[in-house]
Amino acid sequence: MILWNVLVAEVVKLRRSKITWLSWLAFSIMPLAGGLFMWIVKEPERAAKLGLLGQKARFAGFAADWSGYFAFLLQAELAGLVLASVIAAFVFGREYSEGTAKNMLTLPVSRHWFTAAKLIVVLGWWGLLTAAIVAEGFVVGWALGLPGFSVSLAVGSLGHILLESLVIYLLVPIVAWVAVLGRGYLAPIGFAIFMLLLGNILGATGWGKWFPWSIVPLIAEISGPRMETVTAGSILVLAFTFVAGVAATALQMRHADNTQ
Amino acid sequence: MSTDPIVSTSGLAKHFGDVRAVDGIDLSVRRGEIYGFLGRNGAGKTTTIRMLLGLIRPTSGDVRIFGTRLKPGEQDVLRRVGCLVETATSYPNLTARENLDIHRRLTGAPPKAVGETIALMGLEQYSDRRAGHLSLGNKQRLALARALLNRPELLVLDEPANGLDPAGIVEVRGLLRQLARERGVAIFMSSHILAEVAHLADRIGIVHAGRLVEELSFDELRAKAHSYLEVAVSDPAKAASLLTAQLAISRIERAGEHELRVFVGPDRAAEIASVLVTAGLELTRLSSEEEDLEAYFMRMTGGTA
Repeated sequence: MILWNVLVAEVVKLRRSKITWLSWLAFSIMPLAGGLFMWIVKEPERAAKLGLLGQKARFAGFAADWSGYFAFLLQAELAGLVLASVIAAFVFGREYSEGTAKNMLTLPVSRHWFTAAKLIVVLGWWGLLTAAIVAEGFVVGWALGLPGFSVSLAVGSLGHILLESLVIYLLVPIVAWVAVLGRGYLAPIGFAIFMLLLGNILGATGWGKWFPWSIVPLIAEISGPRMETVTAGSILVLAFTFVAGVAATALQMRHADNTQ
Repeated sequence: MSTDPIVSTSGLAKHFGDVRAVDGIDLSVRRGEIYGFLGRNGAGKTTTIRMLLGLIRPTSGDVRIFGTRLKPGEQDVLRRVGCLVETATSYPNLTARENLDIHRRLTGAPPKAVGETIALMGLEQYSDRRAGHLSLGNKQRLALARALLNRPELLVLDEPANGLDPAGIVEVRGLLRQLARERGVAIFMSSHILAEVAHLADRIGIVHAGRLVEELSFDELRAKAHSYLEVAVSDPAKAASLLTAQLAISRIERAGEHELRVFVGPDRAAEIASVLVTAGLELTRLSSEEEDLEAYFMRMTGGTA
């Protein structure tokens, strides 16, 4: 009952927040961009007449069919490494940026419930965004008349996108911890961007399977040439990152001084 | 009035590195009592208030609310407390009513409490306006409404008059007095303005450099303030010399072109007048004055009036 009340309060706090729509707008561009890619590859002459870069689209290696489009959506979902972090930064950091943390922390509610409710809100928000781009992807794909659709391909790709989305979420609590530690939006967003860059560097060095922000792109290509690099150890690293993030956020919320 | 303290601290201290923000404060507030916590900016008021509410962990000492030792994170006891800490903040994207409804939901107050508190704080016409679009004074009213929503037995208010216009200040003062007298609410309120608390508080604690330097009632405060005689005379320099030489008065201050402040009691007015008139000086005014309470406060906290 307490968790439900806190959860409802956390959802109400999002009312009229511009960031909810902005996050959807930013993410919904992805399937459209993928659709444009598919169209350029499918009809290079017409695209060239419009001045669109047919060659570049072809170099990206996507075939103009459902398989290629799903592969694109998997890559597009990687934008969630930043977007899910921005959402977590907002949900946790706004209490400090807007000066409401002191009101929240003097409520007769265990602070762990706030941590739990906020993490659930981020999960729901991120889940809805993923569902939205998948739905949009189907609409765009059908509208383009892409060939090669099969139920098994759709189910397999959908499962893959959901797995990727879940893995991205596993990195959210550590970003939430940085938001509570840094008391605002900037520190967690900076942290997420830095980790993304570090992930790219480590991914290129072959150490990627041990670094959470490198593992996610590997999982996005799990059916591709890099699938063998994701090991049970990588899954453990992700699980540890999640558990450590939840624990650190909960402890920070409960015990840290609020001098804001 | 019950003698059991609603809130009490013992040896309460908070150090940030080498900075002793609060340095061993013992205080208590009883049911129905209004305690004015007075100090200049940076004296340690807000840090003390944050410790009273479990927002900051004390370096040493403890806080007891309703007899229960407060531990940050274990704060069910705060169900009986209303508070306003430092600035009045709310979720700017939500209306005043929605902000209060969130608070109601999490404090367990009944749904009707939202409308009642909106009416109590005179926010009816602003209740459906987003908090981010409210004036400073109405933001303060909203924060006070949130503090009162759960009908608290203890109110902890940090600078409650911030942003309120003079009519609002009088209104809030009346409301607080009513809550203390009629409902027996214990009120702990901080301010850096003596006048704001002097006429409201039953007891005043003066905090300076993290320490409670004085704790007294308003009447005691008045009694402790210095009294003096204000003398307007044609030649103040000569008058000062005469009073020092003939009446052995040690503290005389120049207060204007023709005015002197003579720090003695009103009982010596007659002999002062006699000395000055006998010396041929033109005495145009002689009145008994009391040191301004603000001046006393400044003296206690190491400043000048």
